[in-house]
Amino acid sequence: MSQYDVLFQPLNINKLTIRNRIVSTAHAEVYATDGGMTTDRYVKYYEEKAKGGCGLCICGGSSVVAIDSPQSWWSSVNLSTDRIIPHFQNLADAVHKHGGKIMIQITHMGRRSRWDGENWPNLMSPSGIREPVHRATCKTIEVEEIWRVIADFAKAAVRAKEGGLDGVELSAVHQHMIDQFWSPRVNKRTDEWGGSFEGRMKFGMEVLKAVREAVGPDFVVGMRITGDEFHPDGLDHEEMKKIAAYYDATGMVDYFGVVGSGCDTHNTLANVIPNMSYPPEPFLHLASGIKAVVKVPVIHAQNIKDPNQAKRILEEGFVDFVGMTRAHIADPHFIAKIKMDQTDQIRQCVGANYCIDRQYMGLDVLCIQNAATSREYMGLPHIIEKTDGPVRNVVVIGGGPGGMEAARVAAERGHKVTLIEKAPELGGQITLAAKAPQRDQMAGITRWLAMELDRLGVDVRLNTAADADMIRGLNADVCILATGGTPFLSQNPEWGEEEGLVVSTWDILSGKVEPGKNVLVYDTICEFSGMSAADYLASKGSLVELVTDDIKPGVGIGGTTFPTYYRSLYEKEVIMTSDLMLEKVYREGDQLVALLENEYTGQQEERVVDQIVIENGIRPDEALYYELKEESRNKGQIDVETLFDIKPQPVLSESGDGMILWRLGDCVSQRNTHAAIYDALRLCMHL
Amino acid sequence: MLDQILPWLLAGFLIVFAAGALRRIAMWRAGRPQKVDLIAGLLAMPRRYLVDLHHVVDRDKAMSHTHVATAGGFVASLLLVILVHGFGLDNVWLARALMLTTALMFIGALFVFRRRINPPSRLSKGPWMRLPKSLITFSVTFFIVTLPAAGILPDGFGSGVLAIILLAGIIFGSGEMLFGMGWGGPMKHAFAGALHLAFHRRPERFGGGRSTGLKAVNLDDESLGVAKPSDFKWNQLLGFDACVQCGRCEAMCPAFAAGQPLNPKKLIQDMVVGLAGGSDAKFAGSPYPGIEVGNASGGPDQTITEGLVAPETLWSCTTCRACVEECPMMIEHVDAIVDMRRFLTMEKGNTPNKGAETLENLIATDNPGGNDPGSRMHWAADQNLNLMSDVKAADVLFWVGDGAFDMRSQRILRAFVKIMKQAGVDFAVLGNEERDVGDVARRLGDDATFQSLAKHNIATMKKYGFKRIVTTDPHAFHCLNNEYGELGGDFEVLHHSTFINELLTTGALNVSAYKGGAVTYHDPCYLGRYNGEYDSPRALLKALGIDIAEMERSGFRSRCCGGGGGAPITDIPGEKRIADMRMEDASATGAELVAVGCQQCTAMLEGVVGGEGEPLPQVMDLAEIVVTHLVGEES
Repeated sequence: MSQYDVLFQPLNINKLTIRNRIVSTAHAEVYATDGGMTTDRYVKYYEEKAKGGCGLCICGGSSVVAIDSPQSWWSSVNLSTDRIIPHFQNLADAVHKHGGKIMIQITHMGRRSRWDGENWPNLMSPSGIREPVHRATCKTIEVEEIWRVIADFAKAAVRAKEGGLDGVELSAVHQHMIDQFWSPRVNKRTDEWGGSFEGRMKFGMEVLKAVREAVGPDFVVGMRITGDEFHPDGLDHEEMKKIAAYYDATGMVDYFGVVGSGCDTHNTLANVIPNMSYPPEPFLHLASGIKAVVKVPVIHAQNIKDPNQAKRILEEGFVDFVGMTRAHIADPHFIAKIKMDQTDQIRQCVGANYCIDRQYMGLDVLCIQNAATSREYMGLPHIIEKTDGPVRNVVVIGGGPGGMEAARVAAERGHKVTLIEKAPELGGQITLAAKAPQRDQMAGITRWLAMELDRLGVDVRLNTAADADMIRGLNADVCILATGGTPFLSQNPEWGEEEGLVVSTWDILSGKVEPGKNVLVYDTICEFSGMSAADYLASKGSLVELVTDDIKPGVGIGGTTFPTYYRSLYEKEVIMTSDLMLEKVYREGDQLVALLENEYTGQQEERVVDQIVIENGIRPDEALYYELKEESRNKGQIDVETLFDIKPQPVLSESGDGMILWRLGDCVSQRNTHAAIYDALRLCMHL
Repeated sequence: MLDQILPWLLAGFLIVFAAGALRRIAMWRAGRPQKVDLIAGLLAMPRRYLVDLHHVVDRDKAMSHTHVATAGGFVASLLLVILVHGFGLDNVWLARALMLTTALMFIGALFVFRRRINPPSRLSKGPWMRLPKSLITFSVTFFIVTLPAAGILPDGFGSGVLAIILLAGIIFGSGEMLFGMGWGGPMKHAFAGALHLAFHRRPERFGGGRSTGLKAVNLDDESLGVAKPSDFKWNQLLGFDACVQCGRCEAMCPAFAAGQPLNPKKLIQDMVVGLAGGSDAKFAGSPYPGIEVGNASGGPDQTITEGLVAPETLWSCTTCRACVEECPMMIEHVDAIVDMRRFLTMEKGNTPNKGAETLENLIATDNPGGNDPGSRMHWAADQNLNLMSDVKAADVLFWVGDGAFDMRSQRILRAFVKIMKQAGVDFAVLGNEERDVGDVARRLGDDATFQSLAKHNIATMKKYGFKRIVTTDPHAFHCLNNEYGELGGDFEVLHHSTFINELLTTGALNVSAYKGGAVTYHDPCYLGRYNGEYDSPRALLKALGIDIAEMERSGFRSRCCGGGGGAPITDIPGEKRIADMRMEDASATGAELVAVGCQQCTAMLEGVVGGEGEPLPQVMDLAEIVVTHLVGEES
């Protein structure tokens, strides 16, 4: 008997047997190409989850049923055409082959979209009220359109069925058209489609009836609903229990998926995909409340990432299925690793929300730490096989995420790997990032890598600053530099770095420099580091003003993460100021004066503070590279054509003298964690 | 002078031997009745001796030759001595033949002597150290005494001092050979051994037949299992007396090597003490590890586990049959141990450690882990397997076993399912109708639970039509194949290695070549020694292009993983773990992969934690290895 038995109790949804209790819930993948078709990348992405043991995949978050619900913004799946059916067949076959089940979420997004593209539709909503997150204006939907959309739902469900999928999930969550009708916040109608409870329920009920009628009794039809919109004028938990019971009583719904929170404001949207600042399963109680009033199984996702957590939730009977969607984005072999008794090898989601924050920008969903996810179709592996070729002596300099991933992949390939890090611990900039309040889980990225390096027997040498002679002495066949960089405070000499007038966010987060009392943080990057430094300083009691020359502090951070920073910064009374450039810093007595200039007016103003912290990105650490470049066999060059094609570097199969030298990560140019890890994987997987 | 004394002396010794033999027979007859075919047994005996027994002895060529010379020489000499010196047949050629046989015996005895100069620890000392001298004395004396009869020396030879010396030699030699044979000396083995071969309780094993040694307990008996020596069947007691204390069992016993308190040789000798009455003070071999010799005593009607053998000794056995396989006298140690366990479990309720819990689980949930019996098919929720209750008939009944509840074993099951699907095998499973096969219950001595499980399973299987049963579990294989028959379940059963091999041979399955590092193969006891299946797993690996790096102990000499007989459940402490030793065996071959054909072995060997240095080899079931090399699409 295993401690995780409860995860592996099959359960039926309608007549469909789900092999375990773990579900990858619907999320927008942004992978559907060719006008919303589930093509190769899409199929391989879900096939990998099925191969890894996931019980049920509900794909296609917000897949549209009608042509006036735009799909192109988020490359979502388009069920408004029969063209989708053969693509679904490919998808269903790929998942079924590995014993998994697959359904799709279908919806009409109503007002929750953008009208300024694709077919340039008028967006529609029960009462024509604008949606703030997408700045989406819309018309009031007419009765003829209501019936047309209901029919579109039914046709779409039939296409899913004909494509061999196992079911459909009606989205009545995230303020799509069904729950736009439900919510008194946006449904102000006085006709039969609004007003009373039954009136507000009518659209959803007609959709359900039409879909059930079209697909028959045995095809799974589920509903995803909110557990509480968290708006005073919206649907609260009691109302949602009433709604769930109302639909459940029809006997036409096979399961409910429950999501805590509405999401038509920036702040509530952040709740929907809780990032690392949230506690585990923050909205489980809402799902459990729904379970108490319905007879069919209940699925709940939201910040469930750990097998033990899933086990506890299931054992205590809060819900019937646990959604572990980001957990599967980070590691699609999550279930297989539990089964293989390798739970400590699971690459666990840290809640960095790189995936969902890209999605909200209309970019394809990628994992900050697992570069193979959704790149299966390109041949990037989740399980790295040993090389058939020569075993090489690989030396990696720098133990940040890029260097660690390179060492991991090379070691998985069976090479002899040495990793040299000058700091006393591995992690690189991730270690700094994890020092900020509510960001500690970032360290999970490199903690996993460190555990893997240990498991794989990589020779890790800490507290060791590598120089050219040392590297030569190691007789490397391949040397990979991942030495990162240093804060770029010297860009403007007027900032007075040389005089010691300013410090970097690294100085603050690392604890090297004590927080001042009255601090100005100047952030040109507007991503995590500046916000984190400001949050850190404020949490230590500093009075902080966060100034940027960009349009708003944190503007580079995605939609589910900037709100949690804002919550924290506003609560600590951090002042956030935009559009000011730091022109000069000088000392006046024991105080510092920052001279700021408005980018648009040229007007100057001063701040008198006792500490100035600058976040201006990173200057690559290139010295070692240029010292070794000439003597290396490949002159340090990476052949980008083969790199981008995911092919072995030509130099690996050519004979020659001297070591092969590559560099990756921020020591080339500043990018991000994913970029460093991606390069490390695609370079080293062919070693 | 000798001429006159010798006939009387010989007659005297023969009478003394006969008296001793009758007394010994009476001791055996104190055991419970067991029907044997006396005539057929006696007729079969020479062949069993010359072929089956010799086959075992012959594994050690030098010892085999030694024994042929000594024993053959002795038996022939004794007959000729009786003729020449007993009846005084005056025939030069008979006498010369006697000289030849004593010479042969002498040469053999010299080798026996040489072996005793620096004997290995497995050999018992004590009277056994005297035996070569007795043999030499007997052969030399009778050689000399026969010289006149052979016409080589004058008839008057052998008077005076010489006669006295020769007389002493005759008394000493014949004393050992005849008096000792009847009265419990080392030579007892020849007399008891011959009868043991004739009346063996598992005669089917001669000629290579495979069977269980365990007979179903009559649950209506007043006392269940063996409490005291007289509770053994009479021919079991006879079998104990056949022991030559060569210690080959001791050398092979994994529990002994692990420092657990078991030594099969000592156990058999304690049984001899028990059947004859007395103490173990004279035992001159290796003790049970951790238990001093000399404090044990017993008698035919005294409870064995109260003074003669500690229960821990009985619970240390993994039932691996290494001792049985190695025993030149064909003694059945394991069955005796299980017989005694039956008493401890069924009469006393004293199954140590997790034993009682396991048996309770089996009674309550039909599986040893206490898992929800309704969850037996959870592992296959995504496999779309045919249930016998739905299809009623299929070519193959896939006996899943309790691996269904264990995630590691499920990988083996899934691999095997994939193989069968790819080969287009028409198979079905019993699903939740299947119950534990009963192996653990039986080995832990709970024959009542074994019988109840077995009868239930037999009744279930009889509802359906199938040609044969295939299982990935050698323990289930053994029970279904060899132990269900007595209860009315006669099935054709195959281990999956045999079955996969068949699929490969018939071309139903195609595989690509294995590309990894060196591979070794661990023979599961219940597949190999119990059922003689050594070839299929090897053929299967060969089909993958694997040249097996065999362990020193492989095939019939394979070392147990430590997982059999409920040993991990009763968990008797030792100095080492058996599984650790087995992984050392595997590592020593330089293998990167240990191929296994048993989920229990997989669990035990995978449970070994490596130390510093080289990583331990990976452990994989044959099905798991094959499945990664399948070529072609599912049919």
